[in-house]
Amino acid sequence: MQPLIVLENVTKVYRTEGEEVHALRGISLVVQPNEYVAIMGPSGSGKSTLMHILGCLDTPTSGRYLLNGRDVSQLDDDELAYIRNRQIGFVFQTFNLLPRATALKNVELPLIYAGVPAAERRERARRALEAVGLGDRLHHRPNELSGGQRQRVAIARALVVNPALILADEPTGNLDSASGAEIMRLFTQLWQLGNTIILVTHEDYIARYARRIIRIRDGRIESDTPNPEPVHLEQLPSMP
Amino acid sequence: MTRTELSEAIAIALDALRANPLRSVLATLGITIGVSFVALMGWFLAGLDSSLQHTINMLGEDMLYVDKWDWSGRTSWVEVSNRKPISYRQAQELADAVRTAQYAMPMGQTRAQLSVGSRKAESIPVAGVPHDYGNTPAGAVTRGRFFTEMEGRSGAPVAVLGPVIAKQLFPDEDPVGKEIRIAGQRFTVIGVVRQRGTLLSDFADRLVLIPLERFLRLFGSGQRSFITVLKAGSLERLDDVREEARLLMRKIRRLRPEQPDDFTINETRSLEQSIAVLRQSVWGVGLSMSALSFLVGIIGIVNITFVSVVERTQEIGIRKAVGARRRAIALQFLAESVVLCTAGAVLALLFCTGLVLLVRLLIPAAEFLTPYIPPQHIAVALLVAFTAGILAGWAPALRAARLHPVEALRYE
Repeated sequence: MQPLIVLENVTKVYRTEGEEVHALRGISLVVQPNEYVAIMGPSGSGKSTLMHILGCLDTPTSGRYLLNGRDVSQLDDDELAYIRNRQIGFVFQTFNLLPRATALKNVELPLIYAGVPAAERRERARRALEAVGLGDRLHHRPNELSGGQRQRVAIARALVVNPALILADEPTGNLDSASGAEIMRLFTQLWQLGNTIILVTHEDYIARYARRIIRIRDGRIESDTPNPEPVHLEQLPSMP
Repeated sequence: MTRTELSEAIAIALDALRANPLRSVLATLGITIGVSFVALMGWFLAGLDSSLQHTINMLGEDMLYVDKWDWSGRTSWVEVSNRKPISYRQAQELADAVRTAQYAMPMGQTRAQLSVGSRKAESIPVAGVPHDYGNTPAGAVTRGRFFTEMEGRSGAPVAVLGPVIAKQLFPDEDPVGKEIRIAGQRFTVIGVVRQRGTLLSDFADRLVLIPLERFLRLFGSGQRSFITVLKAGSLERLDDVREEARLLMRKIRRLRPEQPDDFTINETRSLEQSIAVLRQSVWGVGLSMSALSFLVGIIGIVNITFVSVVERTQEIGIRKAVGARRRAIALQFLAESVVLCTAGAVLALLFCTGLVLLVRLLIPAAEFLTPYIPPQHIAVALLVAFTAGILAGWAPALRAARLHPVEALRYE
């Protein structure tokens, strides 16, 4: 099977005011389709930079990144936008929804840039929202939804393009623990349905849901191990 | 550019407009004022042109008027007023001698008091003309008739009224057959001239025509300057007639070869020339005013679009993260500034239409102006506003498009 992600000795150097910051100092990594990975590390470890590179929001300073067999480490802005649009679904800590748009409109957003016609767009967005349990909140704006509901809108937006990879950056960071548990249950279900999920977090109890845990420190991989005792769905409180 | 990207960009732009209506109106004020200038200028000039055309059609394009006065105002006023008047004898001599014209006749003009019973009108233009004048477009009657050759030669006390003076003296009845007094003498009204060019309404539509013989008897020929009216018959013969008339008149006025003409051969075209001066100044003032307001307007829109880019930085990050390309982001902000400018233009056109209707309602003298903004000027105004929008949106749109997605997402 072709690996979904291959990183070969990836580095990232930021230059700010003449000072060089080595955020990543040579990361090599292989992720197969339908893996459930948690990337962990304290703040400043380089895990956010790694996520940006994995998500094609940024390019490495050196090294290679093969996504689905294609080298994406040297692509320009628009080519990266195309890859993000077709292959990657993002879930952010701060939800990053458009405040003036309804849930439906927010989920439609990636489809607009994929050039999907309006009627099909609406239908697919509706189905994605139903899949995350928000079938009755289609026309609500973000400020009319709870934190957990907003994050589910964001997950629906990530899902709607059927991405090869779902990338979640501290997805429960702005949620209370009950809503956080709901969101993690949702990710776990999505993984069981065949999606590849990479979580970036600094919280152990979030990482416990994943099947593989990669720890980063000072821009290097410190450890990369299977999760010995992952959380199973039966142990979770059921969704309301 | 995909259709979905474009319709999304327009939807975002309209939404942004709805979100900040007051700010949008203020930002687009310069464009509104600029478009108003273009539209009002167009409206005024179109009115001027159509009434000029009207006037020319009324007088006939093949008419020449040999006069002491230069109607186009191109000869210096001092020079013109120093010319000797054209005597009745000279005007008649020219009319008799011209071979190439279809009609040639002398005409005298003055102003006099008119009265019907106790109703009086002061300083009404009165022209003495031969009966042939009835064959020119300016002498065409709608009601009654023009005077006959017999009446003309005998100097019968008959008058043909301009439509406006006819209405003024006889508001509720048919003037034909009624009696009026011109400078105290009795005349019978036998006809009313067709409604005329509105540009000369004050003069032409109030003009009273009487037989030249009667005119000479009533007002004398003394120091009065007469005009020779020439109708060439066709536009092709206009040059020949003008040249013949010029040579004959120089001989009649006994000019030496080195002396300039001490008369002017006016044409209905010379009206066009006198209008051209007005046109140019309207254009000059109007264009510079609107250019200035467009400049101010564009700066306003550039500014507000930059503000919008900053305000929406995080949104730009989100859109880029889910796959918006540079083009799509640029389009969004271009659409915003174009929508702003176009909205400003629409506002201006509504305002101007209101103003035009108001002017028509309140100022009767503006009757010659059309009651609407000419469609081609609306099209030009919208096109200019659209272009201004693209120009104004260009730099902010480029900046937005080039934002790095990670930095844009982090922006608070």
